[in-house]
Amino acid sequence: MVDLVYFQILSAVLFCIGVYGVLARRSAVLIIISIELMLNAVNINLVASASKLANSSPGTFLHFDGQIIAIFVITVAAAEIGLALAIILRMYRNRSTVNVDEVNLMKW
Amino acid sequence: MQWAWLIPLFSISVVPLLIIFGKYLPGKGSFLAIAAIAAGFFMFGWVFMEWSNTDESIGNCSVNQSIGVRSCAYQLDWFEAGDPGYSIDRVYQGISGMLGIVIDPLTISMLGLITFVALMVQIYSLGYMKGDPRLNWYYAFHAMFAAAMLGLVLADNFLMLYITWELVGACSYLLIGFWFERPAAREAAKKAFVVTRIGDVGLLIGILLLWSQVGSFSMSETFEAAQSGDLGSSVITWSAILIFLGAAGKSAQFPFHVWLPDAMEGPTPVSALIHAATMVAAGVYLVARAFPLFEQSTEALMVVSVVGLVTALGAATIALVSTDLKRILAYSTISHLGLMMLSLGALGYTAAIFHLVAHGFSKALLFLSAGSVMHGTDELDVRKLGGLRIAMPITAVLFSIGALSLAGIPVLAGFWSKDEILLAVYSNLPPIFIIFTLLTVFLSALYMARAMFLVFFGTIGGSSGSAHESPASMTWTMGILGFFAVTFGFLALNLGGSLEGFGHFVFFEHAEAFHFNWWLGSISVLLALAAFVAAYLAYFRYSPVMARINEKLSPVLKVIENKYYLDEGYQWVIDKVVLGIANFIGYLDRAVVNDIGVNGPARIIRFIGISFRLHITGNVYSYALGVAIGMIGLLIVWWSRSV
Repeated sequence: MVDLVYFQILSAVLFCIGVYGVLARRSAVLIIISIELMLNAVNINLVASASKLANSSPGTFLHFDGQIIAIFVITVAAAEIGLALAIILRMYRNRSTVNVDEVNLMKW
Repeated sequence: MQWAWLIPLFSISVVPLLIIFGKYLPGKGSFLAIAAIAAGFFMFGWVFMEWSNTDESIGNCSVNQSIGVRSCAYQLDWFEAGDPGYSIDRVYQGISGMLGIVIDPLTISMLGLITFVALMVQIYSLGYMKGDPRLNWYYAFHAMFAAAMLGLVLADNFLMLYITWELVGACSYLLIGFWFERPAAREAAKKAFVVTRIGDVGLLIGILLLWSQVGSFSMSETFEAAQSGDLGSSVITWSAILIFLGAAGKSAQFPFHVWLPDAMEGPTPVSALIHAATMVAAGVYLVARAFPLFEQSTEALMVVSVVGLVTALGAATIALVSTDLKRILAYSTISHLGLMMLSLGALGYTAAIFHLVAHGFSKALLFLSAGSVMHGTDELDVRKLGGLRIAMPITAVLFSIGALSLAGIPVLAGFWSKDEILLAVYSNLPPIFIIFTLLTVFLSALYMARAMFLVFFGTIGGSSGSAHESPASMTWTMGILGFFAVTFGFLALNLGGSLEGFGHFVFFEHAEAFHFNWWLGSISVLLALAAFVAAYLAYFRYSPVMARINEKLSPVLKVIENKYYLDEGYQWVIDKVVLGIANFIGYLDRAVVNDIGVNGPARIIRFIGISFRLHITGNVYSYALGVAIGMIGLLIVWWSRSV
């Protein structure tokens, strides 16, 4: 049984990479991928924690909360990625670019 | 007698009829107004008879404590607001208003004068205003004017008096500006309204001052409080002077007299009505009505006397040099109103009212005659008229009667009333007053004689060639007025029976028998005759002596011809002072109220908005950075709280 702390370190590292990606990438597609990275970091954290809780009291099937939330997150992420890609597509059609720093019309 | 309130109601009730349906009625509905005022006139006769036949014991009649005459009062509740208090020392009182009429000799005299002169003027207008496209409006305004004035003299409280007072002013505005197509008429109407309004502000303040002290608008209660000493002497003096301010505005006393000569722009019958019965009589009536108040204050009486004398003398001199016939008559009215005020100031209550009525008949006659001259010749410049006695004999005779009456030639109405004024001034005021009053009497005879000689005698002037006599509706009414101008004066005498003399009818505190001071009467008659001789020499014979006197006086005459530069002075005050203050206040309004008060907060909000919106960059990174920093901040907070 791998200790829980390794999963949490992995999760934190993935999350930070995701945050860096959102802040540093210019392409909208890469930003979306970075967001996916952050979501999956959270998923790892949830599943690992749930597994740890289940192992601490063997023979029961009570602690599935983490897995259930992880499946919710995957579902929402799938829907979100569909919407976001559609927006990016429209953006590319209209402005011939997917670089978010070139799409800054909506301001003061 | 309790139906006396119908007298104004007749006239006011035909006003909407005339305005709405007048156009479709024969004669534009003029008969309606005439019938209404005629009904008022007969009603006056009935009220007068009934008043004469009642005594104190009946119904609502009693001997008025403050005046000493029999007066009958009828009242209805009108409105109550707040907590009506009647105590002297309370500051915050409720307001309670009564609708009430009072019938006493003063009211009856005024009712008679107003209904009679208004009736004559309205009949006269049938001929004079024939064919005017807005005749129904003309008669509607006339009816409203008469109704307002009748309501004014019937009112038994200051509130009703003030309302009708303003209504009189509004009607005069409408009638003076009746020919509003002419710019001069518009200006004159505005001037009349504004100038009288200035006085009315004084009246309003005076009424409110009395109300704040007495707690009631009722005149009888106010006067009783004044006479019983419940009111402080300074309150009495100030309220009397403020009320006199209103009276001076309406009665065209110095320095408010400037509106009256300009009011000549209205139709001539309107001038007759204004000068004889309605508008200018209101001021004299008000002072007479409030006389218990004035009597308590020697200062107020002195103000009235001095203003009256200055007005009488100043206006008489201007009348002497005016060239427009109607303006001569207008200044003559101002002068005689000054004499009435002077008489009131000299405690000559009976004399003032008697002169008011006698002058009303004579002046209505003179104005209607002037209107007749205008009707016949379309000219009012006395220098261009002349010899009209040939073409217009009836007008000439009647004008001369009016002129002689005003000049104070014996047995005509003006002689008796003027003599009583002289007597009052002689008995109750310092000698300087009687000297100037006699001078006024002389000048008054002189300008009347001048107008008479220039217009009706002498050679036939330029515009007089095509003159023709006026129609019957005009000459008959003038004739009736002429009859009264001749005979009314005899009412001053004790004619036996119930006609004990005017002094037994209208009096203040005690009945006055007719006095006649032989030497004063002789002096006034001699002065009048001298004035006629002088006018005969100057304007009929064109004597060289008179021309030389004229030459000598020319610098003085120049000042007088320009009406003592009063109009110019007022114009200067308005242009420089009033408009200067107005400009300054306008600048304050723009700079302080508008720029700082209104636009200032808006600018501040706008600045804050501009500053705060800068974080909306449109750049996704900045938003994402905000989210990240916010998240880290929240984490730090959470961590620090959990430790």
